[in-house]
Amino acid sequence: MSDKFHDEIALLKTDVLDMAHFARNMLSDSMKALVTDDEGLAADVKKRKQELNDRHETMEEHIFQMIALYQPVAKDMRSLVCALQVVNDSMRIGRYGKDIANTVKEIFEQPVIGNFISLPHMSELAISMIDDAILSYDREDITLIEGMSKRDDVVDSLRASIFRECLTYMMEDPGTISRCIYYVMIARYLERCADHGCKIAEKVYYMQTGERIEIK
Amino acid sequence: MTENGHIIAVENLNLWYGETIALRDVTMNIPYRRVTALIGPSGCGKSTLLRCFNRMNDLVESCRINGAVNFHGKNIYAPGVDPVAIRKEIGMVFQRPNPFPKSVYENIAYGPKVHGMKDKKQLDAVVEKSLKNAALWDEVKDRLHESAMGLSGGQQQRLCIARTLAVGPEVILMDEPCSALDPIATAKIESLIDELKKDYSVVIVTHNMQQASRVSDFTGLMYLGELVEFGDTRQIFEHPREQVTENYITGRFG
Repeated sequence: MSDKFHDEIALLKTDVLDMAHFARNMLSDSMKALVTDDEGLAADVKKRKQELNDRHETMEEHIFQMIALYQPVAKDMRSLVCALQVVNDSMRIGRYGKDIANTVKEIFEQPVIGNFISLPHMSELAISMIDDAILSYDREDITLIEGMSKRDDVVDSLRASIFRECLTYMMEDPGTISRCIYYVMIARYLERCADHGCKIAEKVYYMQTGERIEIK
Repeated sequence: MTENGHIIAVENLNLWYGETIALRDVTMNIPYRRVTALIGPSGCGKSTLLRCFNRMNDLVESCRINGAVNFHGKNIYAPGVDPVAIRKEIGMVFQRPNPFPKSVYENIAYGPKVHGMKDKKQLDAVVEKSLKNAALWDEVKDRLHESAMGLSGGQQQRLCIARTLAVGPEVILMDEPCSALDPIATAKIESLIDELKKDYSVVIVTHNMQQASRVSDFTGLMYLGELVEFGDTRQIFEHPREQVTENYITGRFG
């Protein structure tokens, strides 16, 4: 294994980070489109799905090629494993962003209730988890992901409370059902996005230490 | 027969070639019926260490050794130990296949004959068993009395392994056994090594790290005459403890 390989790993990392930010922005923009009823922005997020797919495919292919050509070991191997994880989780996060963008038009055809309840707060938490996971990958600093498990617990409990809250609205007034169902779905998407943040954090930890942990 | 699952225990071994120190305070255990790989950059002492296991360094005039290599609890460097008897128990396969310029049969029968076996039937049986264990029997059974020099490189190397097996060793030392072979012959030797560990303890020196990771259960990394790290092969290649190991196996050396 030559220096060429390590140069390539460094280049790969830049591309992976780029894709992670791209996906993260799809999620944050979709939430922005939702709370500001910005159909144009929602449409833009939906359009980005193709590029997300293309990037995912390219990155995955690149990582597989590097494994095949260089047969990396130790930290090199672990950093490629981590890169693959970041790429896959970013793909999922971006897709959830697209799913949320899809709901924007539908939601505003329904009567307004509860001003999006805790969804904006929940999305801030989930996105901050993703940001820290990406940053810890970028800086190879596992102190940034300390406390990830507790943050994930908060996100999980928000999902449960949104579900309960929506349930009361729906029981009170069946006219809110459509909108509430979207809320519940979005809460579920955000919870999954936070989980993907945790998965990235786990692999960053593995990359840095060689040990596997479970964040739940 | 073995203490805590070890067949060879090396204790504080130091070795000099003249004034130059080649091994520094090496202490390690060779696990019983497992494959142990020694890796490291050229000149790190891995071949020297391997050759200490059956006293091949005795042949080097300026070589001085202190410390112990215990085989079944007895130091093979103790006074009165017969190196020939040691080499019967601890056989060696070299980098380049080096068959005797004799027939296939004679190559294998040579060792047992030297050790006093005379009976033709007994010799026939040893030759067949050794060739079978070296995964060569099917390829040479119809040409046992032809010259071994007519075999391919990979076949010759397996013949040398069979020759080592013929005297009934417990440990097989291999010094880069595949470096002169093509990938197909290499793959055959590697799967043979995997078979051999059922009955023998194997120690292999290799420059090829992928080979070490494929064939060995334990790996030791040597650097500047020291054993820097020794451990489970998977651990060494997934997350080595020492920075030197990390640098060596990821090619960030120098």
